Amino acid sequence: MRKIKSGSVYFLITLLLIVIALLVLVPTVWIGICAFRPQTELMQYPPKFFADQLTLRNFQDITKRIRIWGYVKNSVIYCLALNLPSVFLNSLAGYAFARLQFKGKNVLFILCLATMMIPFQVIMVPLFLEVYKLGMYDNFAGLIIPNLGAAMTVFMTRASFAGIPKELEEAARLDGLSEFGIFWRIMVPLVKPTVVTVLVLGINGSWNDLMWPLLVTSDTSMRTLTNGLAMFIDSSLQYGTAFAGAFISIVPMLVLYLFGQRYFVEGVATSGLKG
Amino acid sequence: MDKIRAYWEKPSHMAYLFVMPVILLLLVFRLIPMAAALVCSFFDMDMFLVGKGFVGLDNYREAFADKRLWNSLLVTIKFTLIEVPAQLIVGLALAGLLTKNTKRNKLFRAVYFLPIVCSATAVSIMWRMFLHSNVGIMTYWLERIGIRGVNFLNDPSITIYVIIFMSVWRSFGISTVIFVSAMQNVPAELYESADLDGCGKLKQFFVITIPMIKETLSFVLITRFIGSLQVFDLVFTTTEGGPNYTTESLVYYTYVKAFSNNRMGYGSAVSMFLFAIILVITILFYARLYREEK
Repeated sequence: MRKIKSGSVYFLITLLLIVIALLVLVPTVWIGICAFRPQTELMQYPPKFFADQLTLRNFQDITKRIRIWGYVKNSVIYCLALNLPSVFLNSLAGYAFARLQFKGKNVLFILCLATMMIPFQVIMVPLFLEVYKLGMYDNFAGLIIPNLGAAMTVFMTRASFAGIPKELEEAARLDGLSEFGIFWRIMVPLVKPTVVTVLVLGINGSWNDLMWPLLVTSDTSMRTLTNGLAMFIDSSLQYGTAFAGAFISIVPMLVLYLFGQRYFVEGVATSGLKG
Repeated sequence: MDKIRAYWEKPSHMAYLFVMPVILLLLVFRLIPMAAALVCSFFDMDMFLVGKGFVGLDNYREAFADKRLWNSLLVTIKFTLIEVPAQLIVGLALAGLLTKNTKRNKLFRAVYFLPIVCSATAVSIMWRMFLHSNVGIMTYWLERIGIRGVNFLNDPSITIYVIIFMSVWRSFGISTVIFVSAMQNVPAELYESADLDGCGKLKQFFVITIPMIKETLSFVLITRFIGSLQVFDLVFTTTEGGPNYTTESLVYYTYVKAFSNNRMGYGSAVSMFLFAIILVITILFYARLYREEK
């Protein structure tokens, strides 16, 4: 009797989990379906969930209406030119905080942590003015430089570096490696999972970042994909083309997620992503 | 030259070179703007720093009388008070069902996390079409079962709830993943002895799991709370504050005032309201944490 009961409970739970999974999957997959449907079909009544015919027309249209590949290029530059140096600089600091002794270490670390408490939306106005006054408006310097310092990365890499045994460092020092050599050749390879995690989350965050590019760029040649697409749907009712753009914007991130799922999950579990 | 080199090669000196870039960046682009935000709020100026200059408390006087500001504050609070509990309850329940690292559970967890890797823009395009007032599938399905004339994205009484739903839909995977990793650290013996006592699974969840992950729970609560108070992306891409300002959040209003109306000083004053709320919540939270530790 008890067995039957627990069996049916298991079934009901699985059913519930599947329903929720469909609630997530169906709309996401639907972006893909709609990207390949003719505009007229999207606007027909009664609406249909599945496509009657498939076309590449939307993709041709969007390349004509906005500089979509330019946006993609800007997004790629923004993601890489921000996150690669950012991870390098912040993990360098994380390493120093974890393993080197120097005067004022605690004060500097607390200073660093304090910046995590500052909500970006509160400082966006003065930060914008600063960027504008420094001549970084509407260029990559303004997109990238203000976001290079990331206390969360310092915090996460510091925790990983702190877990490495002291003998390794001493052996390397006896071998005559410089401090930077110890960091770069010995320490970084040992915390590779953390570095990759930070990089993957950072790239995803920059790719989807809407607000900062919105504030510091205005020229269409400087728009990133997320931002340019938001501007485009704002000014047009062309759902077919908008879906093509949405499709282009989510596919790289889905691929990143497919291969880096472990890093997403670990990173979020330790840092608690915003979103 | 050699002297300089020898000086910096000492680990305790080299350390400053290692931390300096980040400290400088955070100082210039985080801490100084934080102080400047307060200063800006006493000025009347546009993005070119042109305007009446120092106006003392005028921006705040205007803000206190600004109905649209109070409205945006209420919208933000309403959004947060519904979104955060909804997200937490969904996340807790799912994490409880998916704690074990089986293949099936991993698959479900991976799926639930999917929407958060997609941009708010893409998500918004999809929901705008799905909920379209004429040719949206959801609208059509409701018509089929006799519910007519629902306008999800342009109805002052329901659109805010649609935005809340979209937000929970997009990010409940985050809470789920965080709770799962906390629940996996609860010692298995606790459940084993509860099993022996004949304590049911559901009861175990409330008397063992929840108390054991209390720290994580409060961490998620505070970060999600602060995050929700800053809601912007979904509002910007989906409704732009409409209809009739019913979805205009505080941050969206700040954006409109500072950047669309080009009133940087007033925008700063408005953002100080957000800062004050976040500060009070953070202090209350840590004060409670401190008391409990004692």
